[in-house]
Amino acid sequence: MDISEIFSSAIEALKTNKVRSFLTSLGIIIGVASVILLISLGSGLEKSITAQFERLGANTLYVVPGRLGEGGGFAGGSGMSTNKLKFSDTNQIKRQIKDVSTVSSGIESITSVEYRGEKRNGVIFLGVEATFVEIGDYNIETGRFFTRTENNTGKKVVIVGQTIVEEMFDGQNPIGRELNVRGKKYKVIGVLEKLGSIVGQDQDNMVMLPAETANRQFGFDRPTWILAKVSTQEKIPQVKAEIEKLLLKRLTEDDFTVLSQEESLDIAETILGVVQTVFVGIAAISLVVGGIGISNIMLVSVTERTHEIGLRKAIGAKSKDVLVQFLIEAIVLSLLGGIIGLIIATLLSLAARIFIPATVTPSAVFLAIGFSVLVGTVFGVFPAYRASKLQPIEALRSE
Amino acid sequence: MSSVVLAKNISKIYGVGESQVKAVDNVSLEFKKGEFVAIIGASGSGKSTLMHILGCLDKPSNGDYFFGGKVVSSLSDNELANIRNKKIGFVFQFFNLLPRTSAVKNVELPLLYAGVNKKERQKMSEKVLKNLGLSQRLQSTSAQLSGGEQQRVAIARALVNNPEVIFADEPTGNIDSKSSEEIMNLFKSLNKKGHTIVVITHDKEVADFASRIITIRDGKIISDRRRKK
Repeated sequence: MDISEIFSSAIEALKTNKVRSFLTSLGIIIGVASVILLISLGSGLEKSITAQFERLGANTLYVVPGRLGEGGGFAGGSGMSTNKLKFSDTNQIKRQIKDVSTVSSGIESITSVEYRGEKRNGVIFLGVEATFVEIGDYNIETGRFFTRTENNTGKKVVIVGQTIVEEMFDGQNPIGRELNVRGKKYKVIGVLEKLGSIVGQDQDNMVMLPAETANRQFGFDRPTWILAKVSTQEKIPQVKAEIEKLLLKRLTEDDFTVLSQEESLDIAETILGVVQTVFVGIAAISLVVGGIGISNIMLVSVTERTHEIGLRKAIGAKSKDVLVQFLIEAIVLSLLGGIIGLIIATLLSLAARIFIPATVTPSAVFLAIGFSVLVGTVFGVFPAYRASKLQPIEALRSE
Repeated sequence: MSSVVLAKNISKIYGVGESQVKAVDNVSLEFKKGEFVAIIGASGSGKSTLMHILGCLDKPSNGDYFFGGKVVSSLSDNELANIRNKKIGFVFQFFNLLPRTSAVKNVELPLLYAGVNKKERQKMSEKVLKNLGLSQRLQSTSAQLSGGEQQRVAIARALVNNPEVIFADEPTGNIDSKSSEEIMNLFKSLNKKGHTIVVITHDKEVADFASRIITIRDGKIISDRRRKK
């Protein structure tokens, strides 16, 4: 039979009950939109996390408190809550492991800053050592980074991000000015180049100060992490083992984890993958629910149109023709839902770009179309089969 | 003349045991090519069931039924669909046109199932509709047509595949008397052009248009007479 004719008659039939058709495809619209949106957000999240790790360089090893289990999952939650790392660990790594070229402790927190009576909350507080600038890809735009001496003596100096310059200093050069950090006055000595935002967090909304200063002024006596730059990439596994050996003299296996950039990325991706699978899985349930809706409405439609089916059979439609007609109707219904869902997901992920570099990939488009056709087929088969098995006289008799 | 329809002792039985009903009871008949037959009977007489069997919409419980020389009871559903599509045209009391569909598209329907291409379908359908005086109504949907016009569209649909027999089940049951007469005259002229026509009715006036009248009661033929032309 003429396929284009079947399609146009399917669309005609769906147009007859516009509201009903729309409500029926709503399940598919929501399902496809959320699946595609979650996939595109997930890939955007992955991109920005990757970018963050890459900024710290490929040869870098991370020492973090607690134990991150093999294969990426968190094991032993207790390890996460008590940080047993010390600043002296940083010095020991530097002194005792010869293939480590540079080390820096890091303290991460959130703080408030104040300038001339104007207060700003939720600013990233990063305490690092003078060597940090040699490890990560953090460049100074104007001014300078703090020196080793300034760090060791706990000087009250601060380096600020672009957002702080814009918001607190009205875009004026802040070098030499005094910025209030947690109630204490700090001299601005440098401005960081623009970093952009990661996972919706503005990285330029940051103040960076010497780790020792953070320790003395605010009592941050434990590093949030330790970064160790390895001289060459080939030495990474060896250095990793040496750091572990060194730290195990003082700590247990549950107290710390040493990760290479690759491992960190793996862990981040695995966690992200699990989260994404769960969310996409939940969203996919609405596709199934949408499919049941289609099945239901198609059964109603078959009952309503029993007479029409009888007539079609009387004038020569074979069971197969009726089956194809109703199946195509279910597929068109589902496909329309899929296309609308895809459009909605695309618009929403464009809006989400403010926070995350979300993109609807061609494979997501393919997935949306493929899934909606699949749902339409699976859930359309039963009603279509029912329609095709109607006997012409039984169907003609029904009024 | 060759016989188009040949029934030998056919019965149609519904139900089992004591509640058994014989809707068609041991009927034998033969229609030759070019006949205009009316099957007349009261409601419940079994005339519709008989038409369903003769029109290959249903199979008899007992007896042999031959359509165009083929034994119907041994045919598959698909083969029956094929016969209905190519050799039989149906006209129903309630027209059974697809709603919201133009007259041409309705008439095209049997051709669609016969696998005729789009251009040819349209050409053939328009020709038949024009022959029945509906050239102004090609694009009208059933809601825009009068009862008589709708029935003429239905007749066009029955004719479009150039069938061997046209079965009309109470074709005038749902239209006014003036239109009824037009429809019956249309059947008469189609018969003159060589079409074999079987009309099922309860109305004696309608039956009188036919050249042969078969009367049915309780599933049995009680009279079968030919009128002189």
